[in-house]
Amino acid sequence: MNFSENFKMAIDSVMANKMRSFLTMLGIIIGIAAVIAILGVGNGATDEITGTFNNLGASTISLSVTDEATESEPITENDIAALKEAIPEIERVSPDKTAMTSIQSDFENRQSIISYGTPDLQYTNQIMESTIVSGRYFNQNDYADGKSVIVISEDTAAALFNDRTEVLGEQIKLVGNSGNQLDLTVIGIVEGTFQDLQGSFDLSQMPLYAAIPLTTMEKLNPTLGGIDSLTIQVTDKDAIESVSTQIVRILETRHDAVGENWYSATNFLQALDQVDQVLSLFINFIAAVAGIALLVGGIGVMNIMLVSVTERTREIGTRKALGATTRTILVQFLMESVILCLIGGIIGLILGILLATGVSNALNIVPNITIGSVLLVLLFSSAVGIFFGLYPARKAAKLDPIEALRYE
Amino acid sequence: MIEIKGITKTYHTGGESLTALNKIDLRIEKGEFTSIMGPSGSGKSTMMNILGLLDRFDAGTYFLNGQNVSNLTDNESALVRNKEIGFIFQSFNLMPRMTILENVELPMVYANVSKKERRERALKALDRVGLSDRVKHRPNEISGGQKQRVAIARAIVNEPSVLMADEPTGNLDSKTTLEIMRIFQEINAEGTTVVMVTHEPEVAEYTKRVVLFKDGEIQDDRNQTQKTI
Repeated sequence: MNFSENFKMAIDSVMANKMRSFLTMLGIIIGIAAVIAILGVGNGATDEITGTFNNLGASTISLSVTDEATESEPITENDIAALKEAIPEIERVSPDKTAMTSIQSDFENRQSIISYGTPDLQYTNQIMESTIVSGRYFNQNDYADGKSVIVISEDTAAALFNDRTEVLGEQIKLVGNSGNQLDLTVIGIVEGTFQDLQGSFDLSQMPLYAAIPLTTMEKLNPTLGGIDSLTIQVTDKDAIESVSTQIVRILETRHDAVGENWYSATNFLQALDQVDQVLSLFINFIAAVAGIALLVGGIGVMNIMLVSVTERTREIGTRKALGATTRTILVQFLMESVILCLIGGIIGLILGILLATGVSNALNIVPNITIGSVLLVLLFSSAVGIFFGLYPARKAAKLDPIEALRYE
Repeated sequence: MIEIKGITKTYHTGGESLTALNKIDLRIEKGEFTSIMGPSGSGKSTMMNILGLLDRFDAGTYFLNGQNVSNLTDNESALVRNKEIGFIFQSFNLMPRMTILENVELPMVYANVSKKERRERALKALDRVGLSDRVKHRPNEISGGQKQRVAIARAIVNEPSVLMADEPTGNLDSKTTLEIMRIFQEINAEGTTVVMVTHEPEVAEYTKRVVLFKDGEIQDDRNQTQKTI
């Protein structure tokens, strides 16, 4: 009795009661479809989030300082220089702050988001990716002297200068909260989309955007207060954890604040960890529900196999009389339950893939169904078949041939 | 050749014990055609089950073709049944979902015969019982007599040394009974030992020897001139 004989016999038997077989498989189908859909969508969501983090800030550390520390011992430009010197992995570092300020040209008067920081802000800015279209970003020189320069986005230029974007050298006036005014020269035009908004905004509603040196901002608004946050980019993603620790330690040492918990550095790994935790909690929960569906499905298979063994008692007796061994009968019935579960698993797999694709399309993500999860599903449904088929199969195999032959 | 000595079989049910077979000695030579007769409860069915290695016994020895088969494991018994014994049942016991050809192939499946050889031998056995034109049909598409002929084909396909038939004509009319008995006689004439349990004396007339059981013992054992068809 070889494998293909057993396989054919089991298929025949499953096909002999199509409706019953299908109903029996239903639990398995639902369970497997749920598992595949959840894994596909969950992995797709994780990929999406990881991808976003990788684009945005895989190598970015955000350092925040408590209010207490900002008042008593604010971070200084010397601190920034010291950090850069002490940690070679730091590529760029800048305060990354924004203010909402009135911005005026000869033609328009609008509100604008103003980012301010060191020249590294060009790269560390978390609000807007800044690609220079014409002119230049403010440099160390501008920063050191607090020069009256401003970098604006193309949209801002268009809004302020009647749709003109070639406005290098034009004058712009900023009005601070305290009424201070500053006349600034446009030195650079950047192109970029607001990262948080993902272009889903109505263009006429889009806030304007401009960037100036921190020192210039201090002139506009003398009561600005100390630097309470830094954005740091590292050269090597893998060093992000150790750099985070070093930054905090150096600042604590410089400000004699060891153990004060003034500084906290967060990086994408931690944020990703949190997202991962939430996602895996969700996935585990649904997986548990799916697991229960599979359990119920498995019990259904066991039930129907027991019915089948009873119905076919005489057949089993006859087979034994004709020379079937205990093992042959065991394998025959196990094969049947495995095939029931496996067909259910395959149908569930197909349904699950369709479901994952549908849900993912609706959520605008790409479902991720790996070969691994497909194999896992097939393996798992076979395992369910063996586990729940074993008892009925043993029952069949152990039947006394005479009793079985006499069974009406 | 079948040789049993001192076979005893007792059933225990709810404190009472019933001796189905009491120290039976029986020797059936190769090529014999033997009827086992007797009323209900005489022990003839138990005898048949033991001879067919379907049932165990409490005491005694059983030699089949010189091999001691008294204390075989379940799997060893299955092997001997497969190779040496062909079974024919009163209610045919064909597999309803299989074709007639597949039914006849089944004992060879358990004997691990190759697919090609199975087909050839099954067709030959079906030809032997005159059913080679029905091989693709299923059991519910043929008559009772035809079913029993399929069962006979299935029983002889592994070329066993003994055929064990338990009331083979019990579900058949007299005309088909004759057909079946004629096939048994032909198979027996080719050298296969046939042992048949029956309670119909007119069926037993077609055999060469009648062993009569009563109350778990052999009451009569005589050779007779076989009635021909």
